[in-house]
Amino acid sequence: MPVNRRKLGALLCALLATAAVASTAAASHRSTPGVTSKKVVIGGTFPLSEGPATGGASLYKTIPFAEQAYYAYVNAHGGVHHRKIDDIVLDDQYTPSETVQQTTKLVEQDHVFADVGSLGTAPNLSTWGYLNKHKVPQVLLATGDAYWGNCVHHACQGSTKPWTLGWQPDYPGEAKLYAKYILAHNKNAKIGVLYQNDAYGKNYLAGLKTGLGSHKNLIVDAEAYNAGDSAQVVGAHVFALKTHGADTFVIFATPGASIAALATLPAIGWSPVTLLNNVSANRIFMGLAAKNGAKLDGVISTTYVESQTVQANLPGMKLAKKIIHTYAPNLDQQFAAGDQNLVYGLAVGWTFVDALKHAGKNPTRKSLMHALRNMNEKNNPFIYPGMVVKTSKKRTFPMEQLIFIKWSGGNSGDWHHFGKVLNSGH
Amino acid sequence: MVAAATSRLESLCSRTAVPATSLLLLAGATGLLVGSLRSSIFAQLTVQGLALGSVYGSLALALVLVYRATHVVNFAQGELAMATTYVAWQLIQWGLSYWEAFAVTLAIAFVLGTVLQVVLIRPVQHRSVIAAVIVTVGLFILIDGVVDWVWGSALKFMPSPFGTKTYDVGGVSISRLYPGMFLVVLASVLLVWALFRFTKLGLAMRAAALRPAESALVGVRVDWMLAIGWGLAAVLGAVAGLMAEPSQFVLQPTLMQPILVYAFAAAVLGGLESPAGAVIGGLAIGVSLTLVVQYVHPITSDLQTPVAFAVLVGVLLLKPSGLFGQREVRRV
Amino acid sequence: MRHRLPELGSLLAVAVLLSVLPFTLSDYNISLVAQVGIFFVAVLGLNILTGYTGQISIGHGAFMAIGGYTTAVMSRDHDTNLVVTMLMAFAICFVVGLLVGLPALRLSGVYLALATFALAVSVPQLPLKWSKFLGGSGGVQSHRTVTHLWLYGAAWIASAILFALAWLILRGRIGRAFRAARDSEIAAVASGIELPIYKTLAFGISAAYAGVAGALFVMGTNGFAQPSEFGVFLSLQLLVGAAVAGLGSLWGILAGAAFVGLLPTVSGSVPVIGSAHGRNVVFGAAVILVMLLLPEGFAGLLTRLRRLARA
Repeated sequence: MPVNRRKLGALLCALLATAAVASTAAASHRSTPGVTSKKVVIGGTFPLSEGPATGGASLYKTIPFAEQAYYAYVNAHGGVHHRKIDDIVLDDQYTPSETVQQTTKLVEQDHVFADVGSLGTAPNLSTWGYLNKHKVPQVLLATGDAYWGNCVHHACQGSTKPWTLGWQPDYPGEAKLYAKYILAHNKNAKIGVLYQNDAYGKNYLAGLKTGLGSHKNLIVDAEAYNAGDSAQVVGAHVFALKTHGADTFVIFATPGASIAALATLPAIGWSPVTLLNNVSANRIFMGLAAKNGAKLDGVISTTYVESQTVQANLPGMKLAKKIIHTYAPNLDQQFAAGDQNLVYGLAVGWTFVDALKHAGKNPTRKSLMHALRNMNEKNNPFIYPGMVVKTSKKRTFPMEQLIFIKWSGGNSGDWHHFGKVLNSGH
Repeated sequence: MVAAATSRLESLCSRTAVPATSLLLLAGATGLLVGSLRSSIFAQLTVQGLALGSVYGSLALALVLVYRATHVVNFAQGELAMATTYVAWQLIQWGLSYWEAFAVTLAIAFVLGTVLQVVLIRPVQHRSVIAAVIVTVGLFILIDGVVDWVWGSALKFMPSPFGTKTYDVGGVSISRLYPGMFLVVLASVLLVWALFRFTKLGLAMRAAALRPAESALVGVRVDWMLAIGWGLAAVLGAVAGLMAEPSQFVLQPTLMQPILVYAFAAAVLGGLESPAGAVIGGLAIGVSLTLVVQYVHPITSDLQTPVAFAVLVGVLLLKPSGLFGQREVRRV
Repeated sequence: MRHRLPELGSLLAVAVLLSVLPFTLSDYNISLVAQVGIFFVAVLGLNILTGYTGQISIGHGAFMAIGGYTTAVMSRDHDTNLVVTMLMAFAICFVVGLLVGLPALRLSGVYLALATFALAVSVPQLPLKWSKFLGGSGGVQSHRTVTHLWLYGAAWIASAILFALAWLILRGRIGRAFRAARDSEIAAVASGIELPIYKTLAFGISAAYAGVAGALFVMGTNGFAQPSEFGVFLSLQLLVGAAVAGLGSLWGILAGAAFVGLLPTVSGSVPVIGSAHGRNVVFGAAVILVMLLLPEGFAGLLTRLRRLARA
């Protein structure tokens, strides 16, 4: 088949030519990747779309959009050291193998300065070793697993990860506060726990047990549901807690399952004291639970960012509203409805910009990490007044403070803060 | 093997349901009843399980209709149901009442199902099982993308057609939603059954699916019958989606994914050819899954899916035609 | 891969191209082509099963999971050489494949599809149950990780070896028996072919290939084996790859592997639809179009083109 072979030859030449062009384009390495005199290129991976069976992870996709909105605001006001921040957001569908591909693209194709804000425990674990090996900052991650600060889990294998840093308060620390709350209010509580059957849920449960200490036996039942279980299966677990005689209901779940759990309570005639983890306590999710018959008054949770609905008059929230309205107007409605993920995104953006400022006039990856590991932010306008974003040699979680919130006002009500700012650290 | 094939040919003629199956069902039902009378916890779980099972059952029914018409397992059935639920949500946003939107959505679903069969399935239908399965896989992914594109992934809410009121019946809380769902699903099964049993259209559809060549000879428009089969399946899927939404509390692109997996299991359990079997299979899986969560602690959560599917494979191996199916005949 | 030796020209061209590419591509592009190599191995294996014996499997992601976990666990606990772990993945998955193949004998068509689907859904749950040994949802981290170039080399050398092996297997008596099983089971039995043995064997071989692909896949995710990498979608991707490939052509399998290995990543950057939805819209539509337009996959297209060229 001579024709065929000639064709192959042509194809081969064409491919080689393309490859050669591609390689010369990629060959120009700079001293600090992603930093030019005009801009700083950063990137991150987020679940922007759903893959089959990813269980609703793309709910969080407003986070990167809020971060981009904040960088756009900073860029419009002169940037950082006269450089504009360019944030490349890639979709990994919450699937680790995709995260690896997209992160490789960010590092080796887009030559980003740092991987900032990437979301999810499993996705970040899969790029953890790679980014540390290549000394690329993997920072301000949107996951509160214990991995990101202290290497307490076997997956760390004793090695340190100097280029990795979380941001939000860690889950076990948050859970410890719930334990303290329960012990302070009812020494004879019968605790029933609903948790997601993965590292996320188990991290929370472990923290609760640590917090209870010698009162661990107050937990009468802990039920695990699988991510992606249907609402009725979650409901059956909730019912099991009721039948074990629990009078205090602790929910360590993701938003979909939390809504199902809250809406199940009246349907099975159970009205326990309810504590809900921060991730699920977003006001828009509470509203959905209420529409499905959930009785929300008295539900307790924690937060660390300001509320755009009950603290709308704080300067930070006024600024937040302005930034979203100017740079991401399609999210206005979401913001007004009380989506705390937007405030979260702005707060993370603020921290990154702050660290970049402290990383010097000509930032390097090393100077960025140095800045991030020595933070002392008292003026981040988006986090709860009085809280501090702080790191040091000893302190590896930037955020270690929370404040309790309680829902009141019925179906159209809101979270209201109570008590003092508490330390959730170790 | 040839001999085996001939003996299987003969078994086609025996159309009576296996008595063992009926006995099994009777025993199961009695068990549930006795358990419910003795313990209100058991009764509560049974009620919840039946509600869950009716959603599994209605999607399984859609799978069975598609299978009967075209011998294709439609992996996109759940996503199709999800998409039509979004259509209903949109209609309600535009000001229609729930039941108006319900009716319009079913009509849209019928057209959608028919068109999909004509455009996507007809060209590959006679090629191989694999080709048709892959087209439905592509459809699965495409629908996911389109729904996210049009409506976004934020959680949405649809008012429950039956309200959120709950009744207390002898210590068992029953949400109005449960009997509502149950009745809607039951009604759709009866309608399908009546259609196949008593109408000329139903007869033609059955004939076209079972004996396409002979049906064409006697003037049945086989192609159209198969397309209508898909349309009907999409309607049932839409019902499943609309009933699943209030039971899942929120509308999101992943609405039907946890349901589809168990709907497959239900359809196989009942027999891929048997509409009644699909619904009973769905109820059985719904109830047993709910009871297992409560009473069989060691296998909950971690092994819930593997165990459900071990049962599925077991059924396939022991009785490939399912509890209510008739054996397939292989021709030389 | 058919009865006769595949055209040496094609083989040579591919070999030359693949050995030149790493010198010209950027590191990122090398990782993408390595990804294609990993899918090449898996699609090749699935092709033996679906293409030659006509058995469908929506569960090959499960075998990849087993292969991947073999590599991760052996590397974590014993620091076993990664190449050796690939051989172990091959052997273990061959045995598991045989075990799955036995009950699969009783099933065919849609029923086999559903049973293997069950496998794909169930296997990723197992690490959650045995979390001490298999790491739970946090996954297992291999002791060693590899560079893109190493992965590229390993993937394509494995591809070459397994391709040659497939050719050896399929050209002889076994290959004839496989095809007979596909074309008419009853006729095959009548002419004295031990059908059960060959059908089971096909499952074993095909699973072993998937196992090697899984081992490479885990190396490609920086040595991390996690349950969520091996979801149902992976199995569906492989099936799509095998269908796009068509039957028995090197170029076809390359096309199938590239289709599922690259398209989801590339289609994320389709401008009009936007990165958030582009992936699913473009990939889904492409799968459907290929199935409608190329009835016999890429291999069929090549045959048609050749016929045209001759005429």
